[in-house]
Formats: sequence, structure tokens, C-alpha cells
Amino acid sequence: MKKDRKYNIKTTDKKTLEKWFRLMTLGRLLDERAPNYLKQAIGWSYHAPYAGHDGIQLAIGQVFDRETDHLFPYYRDMLTTLSAGLTAEEIIYNGISKDLDVAGGGRHMSNHFAKPEWNIHNVSSSTGNHTLHAVGVGRALKKYKTPGISICSQGESSVSEGYVYEAINGASNEKLPVLFVIQDNGYGISVPKKDQTARRKVADNFAGFKNLRIIHCNGKDVFDSMNSLVEARKHIEEKEEPVIVQANCVRIHSHSNSDAHELYRDDFELNYVREYDPLAKFRRLLLRYERFTDEELTVIEEEMKQVVKIAHKAGMAAPDPSPDSIHDYVLPEPYVPEKYTDGTHQFEGNPMKLIQALNETLKAEFRHNPDTYIWGQDVAHKEKGGIFNVTKGMQKEFGKERVFNAPIAEDYIVGTANGMSRFNDKIRIVAEGAEFADYFWPAMEAFVETTHEYWRTKGQFSPNITIRLASGGYIGGGLYHSQTIEGTIATFPGVRVVYPSFADDAAGLLRTCLRSRGLNFYMEPKALYNAPKAATPVPDDFEVPFGKARIRREGEDLSMITYGNTSHLCLEAAQKISEEDGASVEVMDLRSLIPLDKEAILASVKKTGKVLIVHEDKVFSGFGAELAALITDEAFEYLDGPVKRVGSTFTPVGFNRILEAAILPDTEKILTAARDLLQY
Amino acid sequence: MQKIAIVYSFNTMKTSKIAKRISDAFGKNAVEMVNVEDVTPKQFLKFDNLICGTATWFDGELPNHWDEFVPELEDMDLSGKKVALFGLGDQKGYPENFLDGMGILGDILEAQGATMVGFTSTEGYTFESSGAERGDQFIGLGIDFETQGSKNKERVNGWVEKLKLEFQ
Repeated sequence: MKKDRKYNIKTTDKKTLEKWFRLMTLGRLLDERAPNYLKQAIGWSYHAPYAGHDGIQLAIGQVFDRETDHLFPYYRDMLTTLSAGLTAEEIIYNGISKDLDVAGGGRHMSNHFAKPEWNIHNVSSSTGNHTLHAVGVGRALKKYKTPGISICSQGESSVSEGYVYEAINGASNEKLPVLFVIQDNGYGISVPKKDQTARRKVADNFAGFKNLRIIHCNGKDVFDSMNSLVEARKHIEEKEEPVIVQANCVRIHSHSNSDAHELYRDDFELNYVREYDPLAKFRRLLLRYERFTDEELTVIEEEMKQVVKIAHKAGMAAPDPSPDSIHDYVLPEPYVPEKYTDGTHQFEGNPMKLIQALNETLKAEFRHNPDTYIWGQDVAHKEKGGIFNVTKGMQKEFGKERVFNAPIAEDYIVGTANGMSRFNDKIRIVAEGAEFADYFWPAMEAFVETTHEYWRTKGQFSPNITIRLASGGYIGGGLYHSQTIEGTIATFPGVRVVYPSFADDAAGLLRTCLRSRGLNFYMEPKALYNAPKAATPVPDDFEVPFGKARIRREGEDLSMITYGNTSHLCLEAAQKISEEDGASVEVMDLRSLIPLDKEAILASVKKTGKVLIVHEDKVFSGFGAELAALITDEAFEYLDGPVKRVGSTFTPVGFNRILEAAILPDTEKILTAARDLLQY
Repeated sequence: MQKIAIVYSFNTMKTSKIAKRISDAFGKNAVEMVNVEDVTPKQFLKFDNLICGTATWFDGELPNHWDEFVPELEDMDLSGKKVALFGLGDQKGYPENFLDGMGILGDILEAQGATMVGFTSTEGYTFESSGAERGDQFIGLGIDFETQGSKNKERVNGWVEKLKLEFQ
């Protein structure tokens, strides 16, 4: 504590001291009361007590400006959010998961306090992953030249997560207005920090980063915490670079109510941390320096008890969420095309390659909406745009502010897209999720998180992002340039999944994605980028609605249901069967996997009575398994044979062309299966 | 020699032990024990020769009993006062912030004009960094019960002999 700093026990005005004491007392009463709700089987089954973090949490809330800033609290940040303006009622509604919970109506776990309306964001339980979101919104603050900072709060153990490194690296590299507050209480549940990293002060691990200041403070002390955060904020605003504040705290209680810290902390340690109870220290200071009398403080303490009593009553009387509401807010309503209502057209222009359709649609949408952004690895060079040139010329036309490269950090690419889209609802982000779909896996954490946002916040935050991925095989790419990952992706509620196979559908679906709210997963069959068979005439304004399959060939005897690369293989097989067997095969290109055009599928099954599902992904647990189950469940009585599937073998895709051919589906395999099925 | 104040928290175990050893080495009539937990500026300023004792808490902080007195210290004029420090640390368990508490206290007292005495060599200690280092010396006496407890007596006695000269 240095006397020239802004806040000091002797000089801070009495009104401010009183406000702090009220907040700290109220917070502690709620913190201590929370476990009772579980004991009485009312709720709040997860409570991570904050006692011992009082100084820094009070300070975070006090420096947060809800008019300009964004705050990402973690699950121990009860006092942070109270200090930022949440009421005792709002804390209790969240704790006992009531419909009035402003974080999201009881959908998210207790102790995850938030108020999206004020940009106090609703964050994950995946510890520390909101660093990526904080950096993303920091990027938006910088791009839109808006005053304000992004404040990210987390425990010291969460810094072990790889994405935290990616986030801090990105903030340093992009020089973003982000304040990372690391609340260090020495433990990750029962794991001491010596098992996390070699340095006791984990922030110092980042000392080699450029454009980054590191400040240490005593998170148990109100004044040191306040002064450090004020200094950090000033530094961010003046130097336009991020700051890490590591606040040393103590954890007076167990990690949470499912943890028993007596099992791994001895009496000496427990006494030691209790000795430094930040609230007791603040109270002693108020008395020692004669800023308040004991009677005055006792009056405040009694008032706060009343506040908690009233909030408790309100909480107990508040309605629970309705079970009927579970399907609300899985995804926002999409953009609905008015002209091309079924996603077809009669345009007869020159055929355009699929890659050109993507490139031109991206450019058209970037002209249409100035709040569009694209980034990814390798996407932004003068003469190049991505490994396949899908984004060629975009940086030249739209500039570096809207079209830019990302580091080779897929989690960062997707996680910061999530964060940036929090800035406002007009923003539409295209994230090239990885160089190839095969490399998307490091981003899965950020992806899963993003699928949760709309539902978890009860519709208060919609991540408006389209993740594009060059997908699939048939290029001799081997294990890591051939994967098609829709089978996994489609298991997550909260994302639309589209997979075009022709240039016109590629353009139409991309336009609809970019005009819709919500998260879209856009898979590009890279083998078709330049394939003449995928080239079609494309109307300039073409749009394809989500959830509308397209019959690419009418038929009566058998339905082939497919998408992506195998649409063309099915069409070839259907033609052969027609010529050689005289049978009539219908080929349906799903285009959209989620939402799925169930109606079209069932109508085709009812017409032909025989179904062959064909996709490039593995048959075992591929998306076709879901289609087969759907058809047998809802159209069993119309079937004249088993629902058959053609796809990849249950192996990785080999590099040698002989291996690749043995593994991936081809026209011959489809023909064989279709002919077998036609025999029924 | 004027009476010396030994200022420390009476609620400590190890710091109290060292304070007592120092007191014994000076001779009981030469010193007055002062509890930092309730000392007033007036009581503190009564002495021209002071010995302040502190542990290092957590990852390099002053214990709260000293921290809560700092706002008073920061308003004092300590010109003409001679202050010696002793600090407790654990060079093996916490090598990154060995004796930091003593260093923090030293910075504050120096800033208020105190003349610091009782520096000791860092030789014989093994640590990574210390806020108490001033060149190749510590700003006061370093005591390590955990790693070098057997050296306490010798270190205290040697230090007190040095202080007897410096407090003249």
C-alpha cells in the first residue's frame, strides 16, 4: 500500500467506505447462507464460496462500468457481481435456479452469476474458457473504437488450460483492451498450485509476452485491490494493451460444497488463512483509523441481514422454470428467404464453380453488411485467400480490419468469434475454423461452448457465427486432410449444420447463414471446389432456406438420401441403374443436416419404399445412423426392404490411393448396395 | 545507548521467539517489547532505535498486523530514527519470495526517512529471489526456522553485537 495511490484508509471518503462495507457484508452473508439451501434441499447444489477473495472481488465490481465494459466473472465471483450491481434477490434467484434468474432462468448451474443485459456475461463451467470470449469482445471494442475494457476473472489454476495461453497471447499480439484478473487462492479444488506450474505466481509465466503488463496485488486487501485495478485500467486505456492482475487471495472454505478441505489442509493452514479474513481486516481498519464506530458498523450489519431476509423470501416465492420451456432458445429463428422459398431456381446462366460461388457470395455479403468479419489461418493475403483461395481478394476489397489471419490456434479462432459477437447483435462472423476440418478438434471446446450460449442465456445472447471448414476426402489427403466431421458436430444442439454439394446451393446456404442469427456449421466438400460436376448457374441473389432438402433426380423405385461429395456419386449411380437396370432412383441432397427436412425424407420413403442412405463419413455412428433410425421409426410401414447405408469403413482414411479407394464410398459401392436393395 | 523498541506481533510464535532471543542478547533493560497490533504512532515515535520483526505471508506479503499499521507509518517522519529489521522466511519452501515481508517493510521505512541498520550478508542462504536483497546484503537479518533453524542462535547473537555498534 503506497500512500500516493488513490484509495487509502485515511483518505477515502466515508461514503465510499460505507458502500464497500455494505457490499462486503452483504456478500459474506449470502456466501455463508448459500450452503443452507442445499442442506434444506432447496437448491444451490453448487456453491463455490468466495470468502478470502473479498478485496479483489469488490474491486472488480467497482471498476466495472456497465455502460462501456464487458465483465466475464467465474463461478466464485459472487461478490464481484454484487459489487457490479446485481441485487441480493438476483444472486438468490440464480443460486436456487429460479425462472427470474437474470443469468438465464435457472438453466445454468448455480453460482454462475451473470446479467447479460449489462454485459456481465454468462460463462461456462469449463474453467477459464471465457478468456477467449473476453479477448474476442476486446477485439470488437478496439475495432469499433469504443471506450471500455473487457474484464476477465478466473482462478489461478485455470491458467493451466491451453486456451488461456492462447487468449493471453492473442490479447498481447492484437494489443487488446483486456484486463485479466487471476484470483490466486492457492488451490484448484484440492490440487495445490505447485502441481499446476513451477512458478508460485503464475502470471509471471507471461513475463516474456510483449504488449502486456503484469501487476501483483493483495486480493485480500480492499485498498491494494482497488488501487491495482484502477492502475491496470488506466494502463489499458492509455497504453492500449492488456494487463494481467494477479491477486493473492485465501480460500477460507472448501472449494465448493462437494469438497471437504479438511482432508487435505491441516489446522495450521486453516488457521493461517482465517487469520487473514479480508472482511475482518477491513472492519479492523475502519475502527483503528476511526473512520467508523463499532456501533455504526453494527447498524450496517443488521441492515444487511434484513436485506438478505427479504431477498430470501423473494427467492422462495419466485416461480421455477417450466418444463415446457426446454425447447425454447435452442437456436434463434433463422433468416427466411422470401424469393427462393424452397431453395431452388430456374436461372440459366453460365455454370460457376463451387469455389467461385463461395468467394462471390462472401464478397457480396460483406458488401451487403459492413458488420461482417472473417478470420482464420491463412485467409488474408493480397493474392491468396486460404489454402484453397476461397477468400481470395477479400482483404484487398474489405481491408485488414475485417479480413485477417489468425494464429494457428483453432480454439482461439472459434472462441474469439464467440467473444466478438457479444459486442452487438448486428455483427456476423465467418470463422474459417481450421485449415482443414481435420484440424478443428482443438476448437471443439470453444465450439461446444458456443452451441450452449443461446439456450443457457435463455435467448439473451446469440453467437452469430458461421464456421466454415474445407471438408472430406477424395484428394489423396490421408488421415489429416480427409476427415468429414458432421457426424460428431450434429450431436450438439445449438448449431445448424449444412453441407452443400453444388455451387448454387453453396452460395444460397452461405447467404442464409450470413443473414441469420445463431451458430452455423458450414462444411465445404473441398474435392468439389473446382469440379465441373459441381458447377452450376448461380443467381446473384440466391438463397437456400435451412432445412430444405433438394431432389436432384426424381425417381419411383428407390430413394438415395445423401449430401456433400456423395451426392454426385449417387447421381452417377442412379443414371447407371436407369440405363442398365431400368429402375428409377430418386436422389435427395439434404443440404441441411440440422435442421433436417424430415418431411421431404418421409415423403420420398413413402413414394419409393426403399431407402439407401449414402454419405462420405463412416457408416458406423455416422449421421446416416440417425436418418436410418428416423425412417424406421416413422415410416416403417412404408418400407419394402431394410434401410441400407453406404459410407466409409470404420477406419481412418489411408494416404495411399489404393487404401483411400478401399475406404471411401464410390459409385460402384453405391451401385452394388442399390441393386441389392432393389431386389427386395 | 537509548532504549530500543522491538516491534512485532505478540500473537506470533516464531517471530516472538526471535524477538525474545534478541531481547535476551541485548539484555532485558536495554529493550522494550512493542506489539504492532495495537501500537500507536505516538508509542512508535517515542523510540529513536527500533527493531522491527516480520514474517512473509503467502507469496511475498506483509502479515496483516504490519499491513494494517502501514497507513500510519506512511504518515510518519522517521528522519533521525535508526531501524533494524529481522525477517522470517522459508528459503526452501518459498524460494521465489524469501524474506519479501522484510523487504516491503524496509522500503516503507526508508521512504519515510529512517536510517536502516543491521544489514547482513546473503551468503549462506539459497533462494531464487528476495525483496529483502540490497546488493549482496539483506536489509536486515534473515531467519529461516524451516531450513536453517539450528543457525538462529548464532545469527541472532552475531547480529545483535553488530547492532550494538550501529545503534550507538
